[in-house]
Amino acid sequence: MRFNWEYFFETLPLIASKLNVTLSLTLISAFFSLVIGIMFALISYYNVKGLSQLLRVWVSFIRGTPVATQLFFFYYGMANISSIILNMSPTVAVAVIMSLNMGAFVSESIRGALISVDEGQREAAMSLGMSGWQMTTRIVIPQAVRVALPPLFNDLINLFKMSSLAFLVGVRDVMGAAKIESTQTFLFFECYACVMVIYWIITLMLTFVQRRLETRCNAIY
Amino acid sequence: MIEVRNLSKTFGESTEVLKDISFRINKNDVVAVLGPSGTGKSTMLRCLNYLCVPTTGTIRIGDVTVDAAHHTKAEVRNLRRQSAMVFQSYNLFKNKTAKENVMEALVTVQKKPKAEAEEIALKFLKKVGMLDRQDFYPSKMSGGQQQRVGIARALAVNPNVLLFDEPTSALDPELVGEVLNTIKQLAEEETTMILVTHEIRFARNVANRILFMDGGRIAADGTPEEIIDDPQNPRLRQFLNFVSK
Ligand SMILES: Nc1ncnc2c1ncn2[C@@H]1O[C@H](COP(=O)(O)OP(=O)(O)OP(=O)(O)O)[C@@H](O)[C@H]1O
Ligand SMILES: [Mg+2]
Repeated sequence: MRFNWEYFFETLPLIASKLNVTLSLTLISAFFSLVIGIMFALISYYNVKGLSQLLRVWVSFIRGTPVATQLFFFYYGMANISSIILNMSPTVAVAVIMSLNMGAFVSESIRGALISVDEGQREAAMSLGMSGWQMTTRIVIPQAVRVALPPLFNDLINLFKMSSLAFLVGVRDVMGAAKIESTQTFLFFECYACVMVIYWIITLMLTFVQRRLETRCNAIY
Repeated sequence: MIEVRNLSKTFGESTEVLKDISFRINKNDVVAVLGPSGTGKSTMLRCLNYLCVPTTGTIRIGDVTVDAAHHTKAEVRNLRRQSAMVFQSYNLFKNKTAKENVMEALVTVQKKPKAEAEEIALKFLKKVGMLDRQDFYPSKMSGGQQQRVGIARALAVNPNVLLFDEPTSALDPELVGEVLNTIKQLAEEETTMILVTHEIRFARNVANRILFMDGGRIAADGTPEEIIDDPQNPRLRQFLNFVSK
């Protein structure tokens, strides 16, 4: 069997045209996982009684189960008990699971960055009479952002790849388009090669940005 | 100037670290605190500005008094403004330059205009010999330089008393001198200070009073001559013998 290059180059733009679905899933989930991550990170940073223990269980649960299972459990399983989920479009369901899943990872990235600002600097700020707010906004957050950006970018890359799960519930993203195309032509090799190339190129671009960001972050102080 | 009454601190249920400590310190005193490791010297110093909340006791610095039994956030912040601390590991703000480190509390706590804060910062950086490094970030300074900036930062808020917790013990031996010289200069200008240190000879030179702590209490209190040249307390003698070896 030989690789049909002609077909490959014909199909590539067709499949790539679904990047808008993949990218919007990624960006929307990135936004919500950041919101969730910041909230969770603050709860565990300030050690809010009760909540922070609950969160630890939640994060360990999310990290300890496959995201495909989470999606099916949510979209097919919980639809039995909630009419909201029953009537939910598959795209929204995927975005919800991606946000919840990545939110747990993002919260770890942010929490790690917050505690990377050493206790000594916080003591110095307090001993000078600065308020908790001044300390957090002027000392802790500026340093934490610098530490958090590289791992957060990693989370973003993972989120981008995770979006390929959407085809499992029938969303026509890049992966879904390839699946449909290949079942018509039976040229699986070429179709999935297209998907890989597309993901790889985007990931390379994101990684390039991440490298630049990392060097900039390290260079400031 | 400073009055500590019945200060005690217990960590957890039963780790009694400070046991009913009382003392007074006058303006312009340079007080060195000596004692074996783990006797509560750092804890005592940290209680003075409530980085460590005492279990019982009252602390007065200048005209601010705080009682551990009923202290408010505002009282604590007020008390903290009366003193300034120089830390063993410098604890400079890593996202700020030398100058910005010194300006920080002037702007945020004392609400001084930026220009005035900058002027004050430069004055004190000059005093500790760090004027030429004003725009350096802490990561670009040696330990000794960072500690001198730490001293400038503490001086700049014009505190009633400077608190030093082993300011040289994290430094390489060849850098100790520059920091000790800075402290000595302050002592000669009669800056009120409390200095926890393991440098007995230095304490002997700059302090006009020495407290010897042992087992969470002040076991001896006197002039350097009394404490170091002619120790009466047997534990103190043991300690001095041990450290001079
Ligand atoms: N946060 C804490 N929780 C529990 N115990 C503590 C805490 N901080 C200090 N201690 C204990 O209090 C005792 C006194 O500690 P402290 O740091 O005040 O001693 P020190 O005299 O400064 O010793 P060194 O000379 O080694 O610095 C030690 O036994 C220490 O283990
Ligand atoms: Mg100590």
